[in-house]
Amino acid sequence: MTEKTAASTSRTSSSKRLEPLRQVDAGVLSIAYYEAGPADGPAVMLMHGFPYDIHSYVDVAPKLAARGCRVIVPYLRGYGPTRFRDSATPRSGEQAAVGADMMALMDALGIRRAVFAGYDWGGRAACIGAALWPERCIGLVCVNSYLIQDIANGMVPARAEREVALWYQYYFQIERGRAGLAANRREIAKILWTQWSPNWAFDDACFERTAIAHDNPDYVDVVIHSYRHRYGLAEGDPRYADIERRLAALPPIAVPTVTLDGAGDGVAPATDGSRNASKFTGRRVHRVVPRVGHNLPQEAPEAFSDAVMELIKG
Amino acid sequence: MSDAVDRGRRLLLGAALSGVAGRAFAQAGASVRPSAAPSSRRMEPLKHVDAGVLNIAYHEAGPADGPVAILLHGFPYDIHTYGDVAPQLAARGCRVIVPCLRGFGATRVRDPATLRSGEQAAIGADVIALMDALGVSRAVLAGHNWGGRAACVAAALWPERCRGMVTVNSYLIQDLARAMAPISPKYELALWYEYYFQTERGRAGLAANRRKIARILWEQWSPGWVFDDATFERSAMAHDNPDYVDVVIHSYRHRFGLAAGDPQYADLQRRLASLPPISIPSITLDGDKDGVLPASDGRASASKFTGHRIHRVVRGAGHNVPQEAPKAFAAAIMELVRV
Repeated sequence: MTEKTAASTSRTSSSKRLEPLRQVDAGVLSIAYYEAGPADGPAVMLMHGFPYDIHSYVDVAPKLAARGCRVIVPYLRGYGPTRFRDSATPRSGEQAAVGADMMALMDALGIRRAVFAGYDWGGRAACIGAALWPERCIGLVCVNSYLIQDIANGMVPARAEREVALWYQYYFQIERGRAGLAANRREIAKILWTQWSPNWAFDDACFERTAIAHDNPDYVDVVIHSYRHRYGLAEGDPRYADIERRLAALPPIAVPTVTLDGAGDGVAPATDGSRNASKFTGRRVHRVVPRVGHNLPQEAPEAFSDAVMELIKG
Repeated sequence: MSDAVDRGRRLLLGAALSGVAGRAFAQAGASVRPSAAPSSRRMEPLKHVDAGVLNIAYHEAGPADGPVAILLHGFPYDIHTYGDVAPQLAARGCRVIVPCLRGFGATRVRDPATLRSGEQAAIGADVIALMDALGVSRAVLAGHNWGGRAACVAAALWPERCRGMVTVNSYLIQDLARAMAPISPKYELALWYEYYFQTERGRAGLAANRRKIARILWEQWSPGWVFDDATFERSAMAHDNPDYVDVVIHSYRHRFGLAAGDPQYADLQRRLASLPPISIPSITLDGDKDGVLPASDGRASASKFTGHRIHRVVRGAGHNVPQEAPKAFAAAIMELVRV
């Protein structure tokens, strides 16, 4: 079940940007995204997490494009140049919204099926797409396995060491944390990058290339809502109530799946994948990537893009 | 009691210790040179007294007619923070009183209907209630963490009861009006438990994992302090108090304005909201290895001390200064006792 994969030792290319960006109306959003590769290639949705941006895929995207994939790398709601189309739309960060956004983007781009690949918030979006819309999903690549939130159990404490690592989530429960995120978003992001990827030597340019995506006017609202909603401490946007209801059942994922854990992940410690095995009812391979931290696609682009290609080749 | 008095007098006179046998000598010896196994020494016996809303358990040592020092522990610690300080002070002639704070150890709330408040006014009022119950008119108040706050509250509001004050981390009265103002994330990170405790998950987590949480905090707050399991467990068992979780959770919610206070302390809380100055002689100590409240030069809080005040940084000490650097802590108290 578990395989070992060598981590890439390639130096982080911090000067390269994923450009040009395109922009498309998709559901409640105008989504900014990067696209690469042949238009008729198999599509791959590369979904970033918090507090990162599309440059988690700065090395993965060209690798996949070179291997014939049509690569789509969207900025999530609240990040970069992605915008809400209507100022009245609640700035929800709930899991159903992030998952629905990915499907809306595929609809807007006329993409019928794609590999869903992501980590952190983006891995959750990928899991949701794979669980609820399997007919749209060629396969799933996800860091930290099954990420659909069990909100009904949001108040059950974890081991104390784990709770320490979630300090930012508890901070965000109170208005001091909202004000702190608004005032110190870069400092908070840098602390999290460092804690979550203790073996990753990123430089200032690499960090700043991503951190400017957090200057999005909706960033604070979306982030705060995300971390309150998952504990049942913020109302969801009613338009996603039906999806949230379906997610509350913790639906299984039937599509072919590769799950990856970074052995150096400082926030979601690497596992052997067995705990969530029952959530994957189709073919699923789990791998631990040595040394790598939480931002696996950026830290180990080779391992991540290889996993995507395996699903495309079937 | 008479044994303690006797022992204190003997030591005050500087008698040759080599001629004294038995347990009293063994304890006194620890104040002169570090004991081989300090963690095994419990502060016993405990006494109990009704004081205000509490029945307070406390350890007492030293001569009954000596100048009184009240030693106030913090969270998540207990009276054994003073396991070495108390005998040192007793040996130097002080009447030492070391109470278990509300929610800790053998202290109990007398009326089950009393709110298990952990607000700063309550902890400060408990000190004065204890002094009243014991007939102590004036004392040096010394503490760290919650106990330092209790000392500050009592010293600010009841200066006539206070000969002097020793605190770790200077002025500790909480500014609730500014509680929602963020600080640098590197310090917010250290307050993870305070944010955790805002949620019911944090309450459940504290109830289920109180020892592990305490141990993590000890290690984070005193990164240079090597304590053994027995030392930790000696204090951690005080957290099995039935009111511990309620008092701790209330304390950390109230300070952010996210829990209502006990109405009986509303007037005190109003007075504390003005951040009253402390006019009595004070010595403030910071541990230069303090992992939760970094050592300062004392200047930021200087305007809060309107009387004689000395600030010192204790080298090598973390947050639990009295237990990590008992000599420095005891020496500060003795300076105020002699004033």
